[in-house]
Amino acid sequence: MMPKKIQLFITCLIDTLRPETGEAVVNVLRRAGVSITFPQGQTCCGQPAFNAGMRAEAREMARHTIATFETDPAPVVVPSGSCTAMLRHGYPELFANDPQWLPRAQALAARTFEFTEFLVDELGIVDVGAYFPHKITYHASCHLLRGLGVDRQPRALLAQVCGAKLVELPAVEECCGFGGVFSVEHPEISAEMLKRKIKNIESTEALTIVVCDTGCLLHINGGLHRSGLPQRVVHIAEVLSSVES
Amino acid sequence: MKNTPFHAHIKQALANPVLQTALDANAERRVQARKTAFASLEEPLGVLRQRAQRVRAETIAHLDRYLEQFITNAQTNGIIVHRAANAEEAVQVVLDIAQKLSPKEKKCVQPCSSTDSILIAKSKTMVSEEIELNAALEAAGIPAVETDLGEYIVQLRGEKPSHIITPAVHLRRDEIGETFHEKLGIPLTTDIPTLTNAARATLRQTFLDADIGLSGVNFGVAESGALCIVTNEGNGRMVTTLPPVHIALMGMERLVPTFDNLALMLSLLPRSATGQKISVYTQIIHAPRGANESDGPAERHLILLDNGRASLRGTPLNDALLCIRCGACLNACPIFREIGGHAYVGVNSEHTPYPGPIGSVISPGLFGVANFGHLAQASTLCGACQEACPVNIDLPGMLLKVRSGDGEQGAVKTSGVGLPWSVRLGLKVFAWAAVSPGRFGLAQKLAAIIGGILSPRAEQMRLPTFTGWGYSKDMARPARMPFRKRFDSTSQRTSETASQRVNKAVIPSVANSLMSRSVDPLSQQFERELTALSGNFIPCTADTLAEAILILLHDRGIDEIMAWEAQHLPEGLLDSLRGAGICIGQADQPHIQAGLSGALGAAANTGTLALASGPGRPQGVSLLPQIHIAILQTSTIKKNLQELLRLPEIRKATSTALISGPSRTADIEMTLTIGVHGPGELHVLAIQ
Repeated sequence: MMPKKIQLFITCLIDTLRPETGEAVVNVLRRAGVSITFPQGQTCCGQPAFNAGMRAEAREMARHTIATFETDPAPVVVPSGSCTAMLRHGYPELFANDPQWLPRAQALAARTFEFTEFLVDELGIVDVGAYFPHKITYHASCHLLRGLGVDRQPRALLAQVCGAKLVELPAVEECCGFGGVFSVEHPEISAEMLKRKIKNIESTEALTIVVCDTGCLLHINGGLHRSGLPQRVVHIAEVLSSVES
Repeated sequence: MKNTPFHAHIKQALANPVLQTALDANAERRVQARKTAFASLEEPLGVLRQRAQRVRAETIAHLDRYLEQFITNAQTNGIIVHRAANAEEAVQVVLDIAQKLSPKEKKCVQPCSSTDSILIAKSKTMVSEEIELNAALEAAGIPAVETDLGEYIVQLRGEKPSHIITPAVHLRRDEIGETFHEKLGIPLTTDIPTLTNAARATLRQTFLDADIGLSGVNFGVAESGALCIVTNEGNGRMVTTLPPVHIALMGMERLVPTFDNLALMLSLLPRSATGQKISVYTQIIHAPRGANESDGPAERHLILLDNGRASLRGTPLNDALLCIRCGACLNACPIFREIGGHAYVGVNSEHTPYPGPIGSVISPGLFGVANFGHLAQASTLCGACQEACPVNIDLPGMLLKVRSGDGEQGAVKTSGVGLPWSVRLGLKVFAWAAVSPGRFGLAQKLAAIIGGILSPRAEQMRLPTFTGWGYSKDMARPARMPFRKRFDSTSQRTSETASQRVNKAVIPSVANSLMSRSVDPLSQQFERELTALSGNFIPCTADTLAEAILILLHDRGIDEIMAWEAQHLPEGLLDSLRGAGICIGQADQPHIQAGLSGALGAAANTGTLALASGPGRPQGVSLLPQIHIAILQTSTIKKNLQELLRLPEIRKATSTALISGPSRTADIEMTLTIGVHGPGELHVLAIQ
């Protein structure tokens, strides 16, 4: 396979709160022979404002993101299901009545890929040479699963991780209760949903929970930490980046 | 924390352990039942959903045309059609009809308080909740009794339904036992069959005494003017058959163009709602009682309610009108599972009959964004609702539209509907920072400094409770050096080649289980389905028919039955039964325990019988007695509902009952109980 060039949209959450996840993403992509550029103008895709119903603000951020990534024709890889869904479905909706910006939004949407989707569907890779000798469980993030229809890809990647024992999470498709502004506007409901997710996680006896979305990661980890529980949520890139030393 | 009425109701719901147990049970069982029921579809669910979505979207797009066709046909059939622009008008139509009637003589003492007023027996209708009909009838001194078990329970308790399909989903059997003990005077019990029987006994007299039967409508069929009403308990058939006047309440958008479209909807509605392949009773009503018919109401009214529906068409919330009210999105919604239907209230604590994801679109859409728009914020946009929706409504997309102010009628849209000013301001500032990489970088630095102060050592920090986040979880501390600063310094490892393997999706080949090709596969399938619904399939011949019936009756010590007239049954059958000492009584005698009918045909894949009413074929025979015996010629069994509904007799009959097993309910804790208002036993004598 020819070396592939991509632009990395790392997402504001990884950038600000989990830079190590970003490094893991870079490791895995480079190991797969991908050459990465990182447009420094990138900030946030606008999903928080869009989901809150503040479309004027979301449009401003979308325009900024489109302008940042459209000068380079390379595909855009995003290590987050919900941010990918925002670029793919949210942007065209935001500019549905804007003849100038709609084609630009659609062009970007067409070459934007979620991280695992890019590896498996675009590169045809499921084995990235990872070694992670632990019991793991996988949480299917809502926007990844139902928004993008991505589920087979992360599972195929995890199945090839040497030493990892994947235990199925009960009610794997159930939302963890994050929902962006929802978790702030309705913390009581969010807390109950998180409690149920954590109960299901505990039942697997896995200490590592793998996700493909940093929103869910921060949310579940925050709940685990507050409850003093030992389990930790990691981004799939962190598992895939891990090798036998 | 926040102190809106909505938030207060949420807290109350979360603090109610009985409610929490009930909601958990509902979510777990209903979702599983729905998935199991969909496994039995003839075509892939995705294909059927898209077809159903197209049918509904096309109907709504040309609603005026279909309404005109529907109304013209219904009027030609003899139904009196009323259009109501709003709730007040709809209520007034009901009051006008009631006040013109003179009450019939009544036997009941309970629950009807006075014997000299009009009595209304109601089956389930959400439109009645929407127009708050019960309160209006009470104010006018007209007793109205809910007869759906769940609705009856909430009415006795002075509550409102908490779910559009299972009104008493918020209650456990203990509470219902206490209510029945207090209101009906039965001994305290938690036995669900005993509770169901108590309701059956009380409500049977209500059906017989009622002057008006009031029902909802699941679908109107434009091509023939038919009203389709789906129930399990048999109360829907009772209120549309026994009282002299029937009033049907229908949202004006609930139309399908054709019977084929109806068959499609009926393959999705019960599966989505209750996990059944088909509901026990699917009634197709065309007309009031015909000349020479011995039962059925002499007068049928249809009230078509607008109440904001017409003005929703063509707006961003148009697709909410596609809804067929199955309740699947409520059962799938993780938020509904936490807070239940009663928590979805307006800014002034006002109730909405439509809770859950679809309710958070319909309520602002029909009753105003100002009062109900905030409900749309009660979603994580997880998409479980859309996944469950049989007509594939983009519910997360619609909730986003409500949030963005798209549901508002005026030119000026609010943005961030339902959010407090502080959150909106925060998002505005964030957006202002995010459109400039320089400002964004500064914001990251600031966040890192604050994080360092809040949590100098640990990687997780505790935020104050007022932030919402701090209520139940900690937050990752912002990194001192964000990724953007690290990218260049990340080691340039590119030499490792990952082993590659093209990933092929393995589609498991489903082995077709070979059906045994013995005599009559349709008959066999019908038998399997009927038996699964607790019906009894008895194969026989023309010669052994009478004997088979006699065995059934003798086993149960029955010597008097009601029956269709002789010309609609196999020749000589009634004479043979009389000769064996069976008395054939009148169809309107409620003490008779068994009813004998023929059948127009059947649908094999759902175990459904079709009984068309007409002179000499009273509907009470298959409805009033505890035991229903139906004679079916196996040659009339069709493959499915679609073929069955194409029978021309169904379009000519004043009323057709599609019967799938004995009557049943699961209104108390979703526990299946056989035998409610309709027969508790169904025996099909299949003549080969």
